[in-house]
Amino acid sequence: MPFLDEALVAVVLAAVALIALIVLRPSLTAARGGRILAFLALLVLPVLAMAMGLSVHVEQSKSTEFCLSCHVMEPYGKSLQVDDAAWLPAQHFQNNRIPRDRACFTCHTDYTMFGDVNAKLRGLRHLYVNYIGGVPEKVALYEPYNNRECLHCHAGARSFEESELHRDMRAELGANETSCLECHDMTHGVSELKEQTLWTPAKEARP
Amino acid sequence: MMPDTRLVRRLRRSGILVGLGLLVAAATLFWPHPTSFLVFLGLGGLLVGAGVLLYLFAIAAGPADAAPGPASTDG
Repeated sequence: MPFLDEALVAVVLAAVALIALIVLRPSLTAARGGRILAFLALLVLPVLAMAMGLSVHVEQSKSTEFCLSCHVMEPYGKSLQVDDAAWLPAQHFQNNRIPRDRACFTCHTDYTMFGDVNAKLRGLRHLYVNYIGGVPEKVALYEPYNNRECLHCHAGARSFEESELHRDMRAELGANETSCLECHDMTHGVSELKEQTLWTPAKEARP
Repeated sequence: MMPDTRLVRRLRRSGILVGLGLLVAAATLFWPHPTSFLVFLGLGGLLVGAGVLLYLFAIAAGPADAAPGPASTDG
């Protein structure tokens, strides 16, 4: 969010400049204008800056770079580069079926009203586990992967809807009675990564 | 020149706390890492929060509590 970034820089700079003025010349606060200035510098702008900062951090936490910055996530990041179309995350990542800079978040958020909030709350739990609680030996989803997350993009897509197999079990897939992963079962496969060759993207050619 | 009252001292301390907190918070925005989020909330948020609370306390207690402190100059 470049606009928010720029606005945040402006708010922080304004707050710091006003604070410096108040700290260096507190006599300003004797007048009414100075008191308003102090109110802005010491309450309004800092609270606004922290709220905007929080929003920027939440946005940053959706980035692939952010998720993969934790050591435990490294193999999952590697699985995006596997040179095998059967690897579901790799196929999505390499063919731009998901935005590459938000690869993890796109598939692992819940597409519900409070899905993003829930995802961020889980993220806080991950922080706790990473720094204090101890990372479990086996990293696993909290609950079975919901078809809703797949259908968020695939429902209505021609390649999905016109496939005979999908058509036969469309209702079950929609009701989450049969998991998409029952057929598309090669997900991150981190235990099998060593035997895989990895795809190296050519320098991105954009029109 | 304004006498160095408790109000002035509190405003200065509040300003220093808020300023430091904002600088810490701003610095974390350049590092997309979970640790930076913790520093943003745990250190930046704490400093800004303490500064804002001190400011609110200063203006609430200020007029009745404006006894002169130890001699010093402001500015």
